[in-house]
Amino acid sequence: KMAAGSSGRPGAPCRHHAQLGACESRAKYREGWRPRAVKVYTINLESRYLLIQGVPALGVMKELVEQFALYGAIEEYHALDEYPAEQFTEVYLIKFQKLHCARVAKKKMDEQSFFGSLLHVCYAPEFETVQETREKLQDRRKYIAKATNQRDCFVSTRVEGPKKTASKNSEHDCPWGTSGSRVASNWDPSCFTSSHGVSHNTGSPSENHNQSLLTSPHCDNNCADISAYFGQNTSLPPSAHPGRHTPPASLMQQRMVSIYNGIDRFVPRTTHLQERKRKREEGNKFSLIGTSEDNTEVLIGPQLPEIPKVDMDDESLNTSATLIRNKLKEVAASVSTTSVEKPESSSSKPLVKQRRRI
Amino acid sequence: MDLGRLEYLQALVTEFQMTDSTGNQRRCSLDLSVLSVSSHTRLFSLAEAKEQVLANLANFAYDPNNYGYLRQLQVLDLFLDMLTEDNETLVEFAMGGLCNLCLDKTNKEYILEANGVEPIINCLSSSNEETVVSAVTTLMFLTTPRSRAQTTALPVVECMLRFSLSANTRLSNLASVFLQDYCSPPQVEEARNLSKHTAVGIPLPKD
Repeated sequence: KMAAGSSGRPGAPCRHHAQLGACESRAKYREGWRPRAVKVYTINLESRYLLIQGVPALGVMKELVEQFALYGAIEEYHALDEYPAEQFTEVYLIKFQKLHCARVAKKKMDEQSFFGSLLHVCYAPEFETVQETREKLQDRRKYIAKATNQRDCFVSTRVEGPKKTASKNSEHDCPWGTSGSRVASNWDPSCFTSSHGVSHNTGSPSENHNQSLLTSPHCDNNCADISAYFGQNTSLPPSAHPGRHTPPASLMQQRMVSIYNGIDRFVPRTTHLQERKRKREEGNKFSLIGTSEDNTEVLIGPQLPEIPKVDMDDESLNTSATLIRNKLKEVAASVSTTSVEKPESSSSKPLVKQRRRI
Repeated sequence: MDLGRLEYLQALVTEFQMTDSTGNQRRCSLDLSVLSVSSHTRLFSLAEAKEQVLANLANFAYDPNNYGYLRQLQVLDLFLDMLTEDNETLVEFAMGGLCNLCLDKTNKEYILEANGVEPIINCLSSSNEETVVSAVTTLMFLTTPRSRAQTTALPVVECMLRFSLSANTRLSNLASVFLQDYCSPPQVEEARNLSKHTAVGIPLPKD
């Protein structure tokens, strides 16, 4: 017998998209702070793809994506016109780069009011490719192996990387370590990050990195640009805004950690070059959506045509490159007969900026 | 050790066993609280109570931090037992629980030792979509050099072949991964040849 279910093709309503009625019969000691439906979350149900229903048809796609981008880098997003929707609402699909970001976003945004309408957010694994499903399972395998300090024969022996710094809880946000006292409250372990768990993260070693990053003018430039774009200071790390502990900031911090490889580790120069090349190539891939690995924010919107010629990702190198470039221009200018001052005098700009935001 | 969590899990399991053995919803005093019957206007059924508890346990099984406790409370056996229940929802949740915790080496060995593969294979023929996808994934996760003969037996591979053609993307994706990553080409070939000789899913009578 074949398993019953919907037709299951992407875009068709699936049973697992349906909102279940809240469970009213739960015994008192198991009551979370809000009613929950009875559902079991497995790796099969979770996905980097999120389906968002109930978006008011007011042309708010940009705002919607901005809101979700707070929880992590978004790879793709588009409206699903063929999906059945209630009158005056639209349905969107958002694909996160990381599963745990999708998880947080779902938890935070589900049942939230958005422009007067209540959003319903659920996973949409049916949009995955076979490879994406495969990777999802592999990641789960690696995670368990790490969390339980085991290796089995199907896991590659190469260590994943510096994602886990001090404790095994750093990336995957197990709130149990910090919430032992919360016995009677929120018991949905399928949603790993809660605001409680997230603020735990900001206390992790990554915060030290944050300090050094703040002092870099490179970071400041981007922060200033981005905060202007979004109209709210979502991009600055928590240490710049005491009292805020937005999940994305700490997630970004974790990404910082994974890139800067811990305080003590020395990364040779050739590796940096390869990294930069890779980042540049990756950056070029996104025309509508920009994500910079070394940035504190997801950049959304069309990329302006002027792309800096060279960005060495390093202040001193950039300065050197600019000086050399300007010298060349100077020399070229002095050879020609024109004596008009060219705008190269704006080479007083110490840094080559990255993409300018509209 | 997180005593709060252990007590909580203990309470869940105790509640489950109490609702199971009496056949009626009765008040039981637990360490943490009293099971309330009258605080809601709607009476809830025995089945619903069991489902909720099982769902909780299955969700707990997603977090490796809980594995020690779950083993201690014999929840793995509970999940395996529930696979043969008539209640489809109980099977679904139990299968989900197993899917969540079977990647851990100790849990894996326990399930294999307890002959868990057989009831899981039987779940492949369930009419419940979640049960089936959980079963497919669990079989993948339980595949080891020693267990592979069982988890990738011919009938299983045959089943996966059919699933890989399903219109249900989740199912076909998982089945494809199963066939590509856990089966050898000869195995797949053998299963394919077998299904060629049968009429649309109905096996020919044996001679």
